[in-house]
Amino acid sequence: MEAILDKKNLNDWIAALDGWDAYAPALEDGVWSYRPASANAALAHPNTVQPPKGFAFPQREIFFRFEQIKGEAPRLTPVQPEPGRRVVFGVRPCDGRAVPRMDRVFADHVDDGYYRARRKDLAYVGLACHKPQSRHCFCKSVGGSPVSTEGLDVLLTDLGERYFALAVTDVGKALMQAGGALFAKAGASERKAVEQAHAAAVAQPQRGVADAAAAPAALKAGFDSPLWEELAQGCIGCGICTFLCPTCHCFDINDEVTGAAPLKGQRVRTWDTCQFPDFTMHSSGHNPRDTLGSRLRQRVSHKFRYFHENFGMLQCTGCGRCVSQCPVGIDIVQVVNRVAGSI
Amino acid sequence: MGDNIYLPQLARIAHIKEEVGGERAIKTFRLEFENGGGFEHACGQCAMLSIFGRGESMISIASAPHIKDYKQFSIMRVGRVTAAFHELAVGDVVGIRGPYGNSFPVDAWRGKNLVFIGGGCGLAPIWPVIQTAVAQRGNFGEITVFYGGRSPRDIMYQAELEKLRGAVDVHLSVDKQEEGWNAFCGFVPANLMDKEPSPDNAIAITCGPPIMIKYVIENLRQLGFKDNQIYTTIENKMKCGVGKCGRCNVGKDYVCVKGPVYCWDDLKGLPAEY
Repeated sequence: MEAILDKKNLNDWIAALDGWDAYAPALEDGVWSYRPASANAALAHPNTVQPPKGFAFPQREIFFRFEQIKGEAPRLTPVQPEPGRRVVFGVRPCDGRAVPRMDRVFADHVDDGYYRARRKDLAYVGLACHKPQSRHCFCKSVGGSPVSTEGLDVLLTDLGERYFALAVTDVGKALMQAGGALFAKAGASERKAVEQAHAAAVAQPQRGVADAAAAPAALKAGFDSPLWEELAQGCIGCGICTFLCPTCHCFDINDEVTGAAPLKGQRVRTWDTCQFPDFTMHSSGHNPRDTLGSRLRQRVSHKFRYFHENFGMLQCTGCGRCVSQCPVGIDIVQVVNRVAGSI
Repeated sequence: MGDNIYLPQLARIAHIKEEVGGERAIKTFRLEFENGGGFEHACGQCAMLSIFGRGESMISIASAPHIKDYKQFSIMRVGRVTAAFHELAVGDVVGIRGPYGNSFPVDAWRGKNLVFIGGGCGLAPIWPVIQTAVAQRGNFGEITVFYGGRSPRDIMYQAELEKLRGAVDVHLSVDKQEEGWNAFCGFVPANLMDKEPSPDNAIAITCGPPIMIKYVIENLRQLGFKDNQIYTTIENKMKCGVGKCGRCNVGKDYVCVKGPVYCWDDLKGLPAEY
């Protein structure tokens, strides 16, 4: 399904999505973030600092509450995600491509009910990139595209005064149908315009990974390269590369105690990072990844090798956040290219 | 567990046995499920135990699968959760979820000689295999158990090991000579070379501290064991148990799913990040 939406009708479309809570990028304190869509939402944003991954996988999630009177059995009260359909507007194609990758992780082996409960009621309305959002973008070199529809339910393409809307999934089709007469039929001239816009977007130059197809094998061959330690020298272990990554999914589970007699508290999942030394440290003190280099290698190898070995696709979508936000300038593109180029 | 894979069942501590004292004490806990709960497990699998308010810890199930009334865990006091376990008493209720991980291919080993090599707390993960093999004694050839501790006071399952004698060859060792110790003195890998078990039609199963496993595998290969005749278990820090949280990740594998049991033939190809 293809249709045309006048930009001035965007907010009416959002308002017409009965039963959906809508979110869109908003500029707050100089930072673009996904917020509940205002009545005058406009999709005129560079990519958000945080990816939209928190909609399906929040930074913090309570699994259950516990209460225990001393000497008695504990009482456990499970906590489930609040129901409700949510639609996220303005998702860039790199972040859209993160969605099926996260879906694989949370459904693989054993289905994670928390992720599924949120994901099944989530829809993503994407926005094609006419030009790279920043000089750090490298989606094209990792199999993506500035106009990719992967993981999205609808892809909007900005045609000046109008959006060209393409329904990618049945959910996307339903969202567009909910807009009713706000959408006009797409004619031949609009189809041509969107084709030209997409071709121009894809032709925009980007930096990139030199040979992503060869990366899994190259990183395997370069596992013992001294470059890992060399390139990780400046790392301060802050983990921002992973917290802002649209496909990083590592987490911690901890008990938070809120009362002593009776014992009260909750078991909580929070995002965690392979960049922290205690992430892998055994209680004996033994640490399988005890150097900065081994932890950089883990992050990069997971994206460009291990995930590919398990699922047949790269985990990195080239959004560039880990590069642009790193306080010491560690650059995953450079790391892959240098290790791969050294063998 | 239903839809909530992180919600534990409740189990009551039915029995506690002090195996080893001192700074790195080991206690064995017998857990009985509450509220008609429970799960089946296979040799080598683990369970996530928890003390509410302290947290969770992944522990290998030390009782054999054919024991249905309880599950047994031998826990060394090393971290926050395991230390809290050592403070518990009979009757206390804890959380348990699982079972997690793969298992030893015990059925495929029928007719073979089994050589077990354990050190320290590493007897616990292979104990269900030993118990299963002894319970089905006629299905297996010779069974040999090597086990060592730092000192005679660090030998766990002492009474149970003595009971094995007759059905099984037991070779104990301690690191340093002490008065009254009549068995082998020296490290476990050295005891192995002293007794020279034959690789013919044999499977070797080893578990213990990483440094012990390293030398045991070297020595087994010297004795003529092929890589596909050697099995071990690896333990990494774990949080979820279901291949998502990333902590136990070794190469492409999540140890909580693809492990903890590995044939050396497969393990040698993974990064040594364990």
